[in-house]
Amino acid sequence: MNRGRRRSSVIAVLPMYLFTLAFVLGPLIYMLFLSFESRSGQWGVTADFTLRNYTRIAEPLFMKTFWNSTKLALISTVFVLLIGYPFGYFMARLSKKWRSVCMLLLIIPFWTSALMRLYGWIIFFRANGVLDTLLMKIGLIDRPLKLLYSYPSVVVGMVYVLLPFMIYSVYASAEKLDWRLVEAARDLGASRFGAFRTVSLPLTAPGIFSGVILTFVPSMGLYFLADILGGNKTILVGNLIYEQLMKIHDWPFAAAISVVLLLLTSIFLFAYRRITKSDLEGLV
Amino acid sequence: MKKVLALILSLALIAALAVGCAPKPTEPAVSPDASDPTPPEAGGTLTLYTWEGMFPEEIIAGFEAETGITVNYAVFDTDETMLTKLETAKGGDYDLVIADDYIIELAVGAGLVQKLDKSKLSNYGNINPIYQGQFYDPADEYTVPYGAGVQTIVFDPNFVDIPVSGYADLLDPSFKDSVGVIGNYRVINGLALKILGYSYNTENLDEIDAAGAKLLELAPNIRVIKDDSLENDLISGEITAAVMYTSQVTAALLERPDLAVVYPAEGIGFGVMGSFIPSQAPNAEAAYKFLDYILDAQRGAECFEWLGYYSTFSASDAYISDEYKPFLTLPAEFGETEMIGNVSDEALQKHELIWTAFRDAAGK
Amino acid sequence: MKKRMGLPKAYLVFLLLAMYLPIVLVVIYSFNVSKLSSVWTGTTLNWYRALFRDRDMFEALRNSLVLATVSSCAAAVIGTLGAFGASRVKLPFSGSMEYLSMLPIMIPEIILGMVFLAFFSLIGLPFGMTTLIIAHTAFNIPYVFLMVKARLAGFDNSLYDAARDLGAGEVRTFLDITLPLIFPAILSGMLLSFAMSFDDVIISVFVTGVNTNTLPIKIYSQIKTGVTPKTNALCSLLFAATVLLGFLSVIASRGGKRQKNKKTEE
Repeated sequence: MNRGRRRSSVIAVLPMYLFTLAFVLGPLIYMLFLSFESRSGQWGVTADFTLRNYTRIAEPLFMKTFWNSTKLALISTVFVLLIGYPFGYFMARLSKKWRSVCMLLLIIPFWTSALMRLYGWIIFFRANGVLDTLLMKIGLIDRPLKLLYSYPSVVVGMVYVLLPFMIYSVYASAEKLDWRLVEAARDLGASRFGAFRTVSLPLTAPGIFSGVILTFVPSMGLYFLADILGGNKTILVGNLIYEQLMKIHDWPFAAAISVVLLLLTSIFLFAYRRITKSDLEGLV
Repeated sequence: MKKVLALILSLALIAALAVGCAPKPTEPAVSPDASDPTPPEAGGTLTLYTWEGMFPEEIIAGFEAETGITVNYAVFDTDETMLTKLETAKGGDYDLVIADDYIIELAVGAGLVQKLDKSKLSNYGNINPIYQGQFYDPADEYTVPYGAGVQTIVFDPNFVDIPVSGYADLLDPSFKDSVGVIGNYRVINGLALKILGYSYNTENLDEIDAAGAKLLELAPNIRVIKDDSLENDLISGEITAAVMYTSQVTAALLERPDLAVVYPAEGIGFGVMGSFIPSQAPNAEAAYKFLDYILDAQRGAECFEWLGYYSTFSASDAYISDEYKPFLTLPAEFGETEMIGNVSDEALQKHELIWTAFRDAAGK
Repeated sequence: MKKRMGLPKAYLVFLLLAMYLPIVLVVIYSFNVSKLSSVWTGTTLNWYRALFRDRDMFEALRNSLVLATVSSCAAAVIGTLGAFGASRVKLPFSGSMEYLSMLPIMIPEIILGMVFLAFFSLIGLPFGMTTLIIAHTAFNIPYVFLMVKARLAGFDNSLYDAARDLGAGEVRTFLDITLPLIFPAILSGMLLSFAMSFDDVIISVFVTGVNTNTLPIKIYSQIKTGVTPKTNALCSLLFAATVLLGFLSVIASRGGKRQKNKKTEE
């Protein structure tokens, strides 16, 4: 191979590798170290080696937090998939012009502050707010539903924030789909659903996988949702880390929780890469 | 290679242009290692670090106009966040901090606070001595109190049929899913300690455990836990009763005079907020000027009306308008109060545990 | 084939409406007289007036713009070069390095916030715009990298080789041949990272300093301390700006396409 070409390529990748070593790997390694140290008094960290932080996570209360987070993430991901998949799929079947219109309409909310959009949901959900007033007017209910600060409103917030990722992923793979295959299956006598199941679904599977990853992983850490929409009652791993860091100051414990969370998500990422052997689809 | 450089430069130019479009920059935002140990010349910046909304805009603007100092208002959400940031800044970065009593004790203990030079505070005598000599600053060396308050129960009589006289009444099943509480775990855990007749500051782990069990009885009634704007939830009917701070009580009652206020029979948690100058404050002079500015009797009154906490400057009491007077001066009617102080690590860890369990149970 | 798209279309429209519902509510309540979003007491423009007097808010907006611009540009340079280099040379460990570089967008944001907080205080870097930019660049690089990499994957090397055969230098070839081809990918990577950076609250909360409230941090603390319609007003204006930008970009890309078509006709 051309020497010059090799040299220039190495020079080109160098900034990224150096940046990654310094600001991704470095901090992660430090986090790992930190997780084996212990908190000293109200403040600071003692440099020693202990497994105590990890054994503490095994306490039922914290295990429950992990389980709750996973459960919420699973529930949200299922809803995101059920709602987002048809959207991405149908969108790919639109004409080219409408597809770009649709894309634009999807991107605009994405560019609007997520917090403010969540605040919009607060206005919608709150007692005697928009939804209550509406339902009371048409006589479906006679007193406020108390939806704000409840588990369902956290799920709605989660689904709402993460939906675009699923839609993009599904859309990206459905767009590449050769529709003639679906037609062929129909011609051969497959039912509408049969054709979908045997042709479209397997071909859009990569999009589903990456959409699931893109919704599941972030949903483990979106602590502010439980804060704003959940009335602070639903404790997620994200909240736990945030509180240990900022309120309780047990940095080593926060680091240990982060390490476990990182391992947990890495398992999912690893499984994804094994199954699809590719980068996340839909991101690009 | 030149062209790569040109590319990077032109990208930087685009960045600079975008910056130029933004409202006029007041100072360079990026100054990581431009450490300038020289004291800022007259004017300069005062970096104030406290909760959102502690001063009316007019006070800040008036101070800026009078002294030529620009006020940079940085906010934290909880005392603990403040301490984390102050610790990472090694007592620098901020010129004046206003926070709660117990956290000030910790900050002083960690050497993050400098002693006040009272000769620079001509209005120091305006402070109400009731709020001086408290546990966090027994010799009044470090702080100027700025607002004080108690935790009170407020409820909406339109929706509540049972008599409410103290914290224990909030456990009543009729309050199911309709109580809001502030998010300070020492206060809320303390509420359970009080129901059981213990001290806020007990270090007896069994007592704290018992409080934890009591809290679980309260959990089904909890609708929301948050420190800020809890009064809005009461006003809008999201909740029918709340345990909250004085400022929130003031705000709620001004909006809805029909709400009922109860000073809990079990005992009252009392707190003072104090202002202090961090040990390495970049511009301590400006902090003194600001303190003296708000210590002025009339301006102090303006501040407390805005803040909604009890006035800690006795000279200001006379200037507080009649509308606010009932809320901003210490009511004579309540008897025993207790301040929340710092407790041992073991007790604190126990508190964290019962608090997490309580929130988790409330989420069910 | 006859497509039956009635129901699907209705679904698309319904979901889009649902997505815009909270935004519309925020905009509507920016005109509310009452401070509280629970009651409607009449229409006013006062909150917009109050907004233009609020220096802190503009300060935060400015910080966010600076941060998003600088970090997305830095990511564009680093990520593009990275993808370009990686597509042409296989170094030992380059697989793991690539995986590591992508990690910031693969893991929950809170972990990134936590490690940066701990790391920056370990190395004694003062919290402020610098730490914000480093952290945001870290999670922006993957967006640019992935976009450019995908683009380069479908890229015909013969053009490049031809240019080299004709004696063009490495840099020259990159600038004249490669860059124009991958430019759309760089641009969309940059736009995406700009949006992510402009909207980020989780990581920013951890690494922000004294003078550097960003807009999302400001909004977050306001939602917690009680939003006044002033914040609604700000978001409405930002929303309007986004819509405008969106349409401008559509018009621009149409213009670009038309020109391209013309060129091919010639």
